[in-house]
Amino acid sequence: MKIQLTLAARYLWGRKLRTFLTTLAIIFGVFVIFGMNILLPTMTHAFETSVLNASGQVDVLVTNKSGEAFAPSIMHRIESIPGVQALSGNLERTINIPANYYRSGSVGALSLIGIVPRDAQQVRDYTMQKGRFLQNTDTRAAIITSSLADTLKLELGDELSIPTVNGAVKLKIVGIRAAQTLPGNEPVWLTLNEAQKLLNAPNRINTIEIKLDTTDAAQRTAISNAIAATIGDEYQLGGLASGSEFMASLQTAQQIFNLMGFLALFMGGFIIFNTFRTIVAERRHDIGMLRAIGAGRRTIIGLFLFEGLLQGVVGTAIGMALGYGLGVLIVEGTRGIYQQFLHMQLGAPVIEPGLVLLTIVLGVGVTLLSGLVPAWNASRVTPMEALRPNVVTVETRRRLNKWTIVGIVLMVAALVGLLSQNISLVALGGFAFLVGLALLAPALVKPIAQVFGAMLGFIFARDGAAELAQGNLTRQPSRAAITASATMIGLAILVAAVGLISSITGGINTLLEKTLGSDYLLVPPSIGVWGSDVGADETLAERLRSVYGVSAVSTMRFATTTVGDQTINLLGIDPVEFPKVSGLNFSEGDPNTAFEQLAKGRGLILNGVGATTLKLHAGDAIKIPSPEGEQTYRVIAVASDVLNTKITSAYISQENLKRDFHKTEDVFMQLNLAPNANRAEVDARLQEIVARYPQFKLVSGAAYLNEMRSLYTTSFSAFYILLGILALPSLIAILNTLAIGVIERTREIGMLRAIGATRKQVRRTILAEAILLAAMGTAFGLLAGLYLGYVMTLGLNASGLYPLQYSFPYAGVVAAVALGLLFGVLAAILPARQAARMDIIQALRYE
Amino acid sequence: MSLVQTENLAKIYGSGETAVTALDRVNVKIDAGEFVAVMGPSGCGKSTLLHLIGGLDRPTSGKVCIENVSLGDLSDDKLTELRRRKIGFVFQFFNLIPVLDAVENAALPMMLDGAKAAQAKARAREWLTRVGLENRLHSRPDQLSGGQQQRVAIARALVAEPALVLADEPTGNLDTRAADEIAGLLRQVAEAWGRSVVMVTHDPRIAAYADRIVFLKDGTVVDETRLNSQNGNGAQVIRGKMNALAE
Repeated sequence: MKIQLTLAARYLWGRKLRTFLTTLAIIFGVFVIFGMNILLPTMTHAFETSVLNASGQVDVLVTNKSGEAFAPSIMHRIESIPGVQALSGNLERTINIPANYYRSGSVGALSLIGIVPRDAQQVRDYTMQKGRFLQNTDTRAAIITSSLADTLKLELGDELSIPTVNGAVKLKIVGIRAAQTLPGNEPVWLTLNEAQKLLNAPNRINTIEIKLDTTDAAQRTAISNAIAATIGDEYQLGGLASGSEFMASLQTAQQIFNLMGFLALFMGGFIIFNTFRTIVAERRHDIGMLRAIGAGRRTIIGLFLFEGLLQGVVGTAIGMALGYGLGVLIVEGTRGIYQQFLHMQLGAPVIEPGLVLLTIVLGVGVTLLSGLVPAWNASRVTPMEALRPNVVTVETRRRLNKWTIVGIVLMVAALVGLLSQNISLVALGGFAFLVGLALLAPALVKPIAQVFGAMLGFIFARDGAAELAQGNLTRQPSRAAITASATMIGLAILVAAVGLISSITGGINTLLEKTLGSDYLLVPPSIGVWGSDVGADETLAERLRSVYGVSAVSTMRFATTTVGDQTINLLGIDPVEFPKVSGLNFSEGDPNTAFEQLAKGRGLILNGVGATTLKLHAGDAIKIPSPEGEQTYRVIAVASDVLNTKITSAYISQENLKRDFHKTEDVFMQLNLAPNANRAEVDARLQEIVARYPQFKLVSGAAYLNEMRSLYTTSFSAFYILLGILALPSLIAILNTLAIGVIERTREIGMLRAIGATRKQVRRTILAEAILLAAMGTAFGLLAGLYLGYVMTLGLNASGLYPLQYSFPYAGVVAAVALGLLFGVLAAILPARQAARMDIIQALRYE
Repeated sequence: MSLVQTENLAKIYGSGETAVTALDRVNVKIDAGEFVAVMGPSGCGKSTLLHLIGGLDRPTSGKVCIENVSLGDLSDDKLTELRRRKIGFVFQFFNLIPVLDAVENAALPMMLDGAKAAQAKARAREWLTRVGLENRLHSRPDQLSGGQQQRVAIARALVAEPALVLADEPTGNLDTRAADEIAGLLRQVAEAWGRSVVMVTHDPRIAAYADRIVFLKDGTVVDETRLNSQNGNGAQVIRGKMNALAE
């Protein structure tokens, strides 16, 4: 044991550069997985804390399952349950504050809480730091915390302006409570009556806070159960989970990052496998000697596994440390953004024990697994090897072996799968294609090297560097193949993703024009988090309609509901006005009659994500909970637009939204002008009206379209950078193989120098070899990437999430070729220098 | 009783038309404490004989017995154990582990046998001192001269107290002076420390340090000479015999 550990450590230490490069591959994979997985739990934690924060201080909380406000009548039924001491029906709502709304300080969102003062005080303790508590007769009066007062530099008696459905309203501060200590939005308390007016929810509440008359745990459970039985299926115990739709899309992002991390580790595995194979070849003498003087086979396996273990442990540890840094960096760096746009207060980075365990198992596991086969091979080295002179082995056996045939079969199967157009066969084919290509790689090395070698020959014609490089590669085809495969995976992902993204971008552009094609838009602070956008009541739309020159105004209203675990955003539109200013991209149902049908009875137009997750088609019926009980809606059509691409949502008529959900608040508006309208005049008039509703931003459709486009471009370019980083292990792979080749051929290089090769010629041989390797990997990568990109586009299209058109990723191909060649040249620098600087005498003596 | 005994030992490489007979029914005996040199022209099978005696390679037919144990009957693990405990090896190219220092290299066989590191290293130091390397205990192979590296290899071969030391061209990579020192040291291994030593060499001057010379040609034993004070200058005698073989 001890001797193996000593030897492993010494060998690793003895080849510092190689150890570093190999370990780097593990570090990188662990880094991505660990770092990226810190973010989501941190956000979940923040999210849960704010929910807990809201519900934690009372004994029991009752809300409607749809998430919407309801009539307070249910409180009478709860009141009469034995054990219920007091209860308070509140109307709580997060309201997004537009950027720069307050001059004196920055606030992303506020939590508006309407309470009945007497009831509220019986349920919770409202100790005042300054001023007084609310009174029933109060209008335009509010209580805030001292921390909000500090942020906005407000004193007792000052006025706090908030956006409401009637426009901006000023509330007088009558009391100040202790500072907010937990994460979450700053609360602003006002009377229930006033809150109902300002939020356009007459006679509605959305949470009931209940205080029980006992502290005995068993009794409390019994009372809670009694409450649950009384309120029935439409209500739930527990707080409102606002923002759960964002957690869902975050989870998707998380999965993408995880996939990237796994792929990086997978490439790391390739690199380690390659390195270990070389180490075994290089140390045949040492191994043979150890066997001769009495080391058993298990001792030899152990020696190599220890080396793997050491690298795995160190690589994983460093990767985790760096990953933690990345996590902290992301959390800290985006804290402001989350606060501003998602209105979520992030706490300290959260690391789940499960993640630590998983990362360690993955990091160390991949290293050990990759070392297993080479270690086994090492144990087969006979003691005789110690006595043979050191000759670099040349693989001469024919490469058309069984694995080549398996590779060909797999690739043919993949192509058949593609032709079948059956989506699961196509997906399976994608995997088969990659594995098949990797298996086929060794057989392809020679022909590909010949083709590229001939091309290189034109450049390096005079000194034979190209021929030497080609010969060097083809004498170890399996090593070259593994290196090329590692490069292939990195570049294939790049090409595939670019293909997919350019297809998505094409689709989104079509959608954007359809959705945002109106002349003017009234945009709330946050598109997507409709629930916390304060809209306007009907008067705003009426005023806009009355402007001379405006031909159509379409408004959008919002409510949520939950089917199973799935939150659905319900977007209320006017079936007559909406088609005039906007449009949807239909994938099921009849576009011509869909809006007419929406006006009749209870019907909805579901988006692609919804249709997929809820497994519904046009003509199906769906039962959705509402504050008025469960309602049955018919799926009229499946259609998407830009506003709801990511989240499950459905369009219903405003009439139905009002009847079932009591929502009449307009959160988004689109306007069209008459053809002969005086643009400047209308513009001025609209600006004037909208100025009274600071929560809205009036933008021209064209300007907004451009803004959205550049937003997409920006977010996708960030994605491209990530993909580029993911290709980094391929650089390590090439570098590693070259460095190993140089070490292994030390004596040959010495001989070349002795018989008259200049340093420059040696350098160029290595460079040519690097470019050949990179070209091979790039060729494989392009092939696999184009295939995968096409498959993914087909898959997404079939799932109906997005309407896509496959577009050939020219940019991706160019980027992959450029990156591949760049990596080739970069990887050559160190080994070429090392080879060129070699001392001839020492090189010739090298053992 | 002989320490090593071979019976009709044969080794054929390859098969069919390309078959090469490296050893053909060789019978040799080596006594405890005896220093035997194996000589012969290139390709005569002398290294093959050494490998078979050392259990590094398996014979095509015939057998090798060490202390009356037939190597052919042993599993790979048992054979490995035998090499570890009964045999010490000295190679032409020294074959030291480049990343370990002299003490660690010399201690390897004992460490591989599961001995405590402290104990193994103490013994390694002892042997290194005996072979004259007390000042270079913590040098790595690349900091040692060829002769010094070979001394480390000899210390390594002796550290597990084996009965037999096998040396394959131990002086092949050394200059004349170092070669003489190493040959003298091997003589001491047999004479003073009582191990049997089998050494393959093509250098008559080095072979002259042995008690007995076995001459091989085309895989068979063609002559055997016991060197003693009676037949005068050993090297001269050996040269004469070699020349006769070459004809």
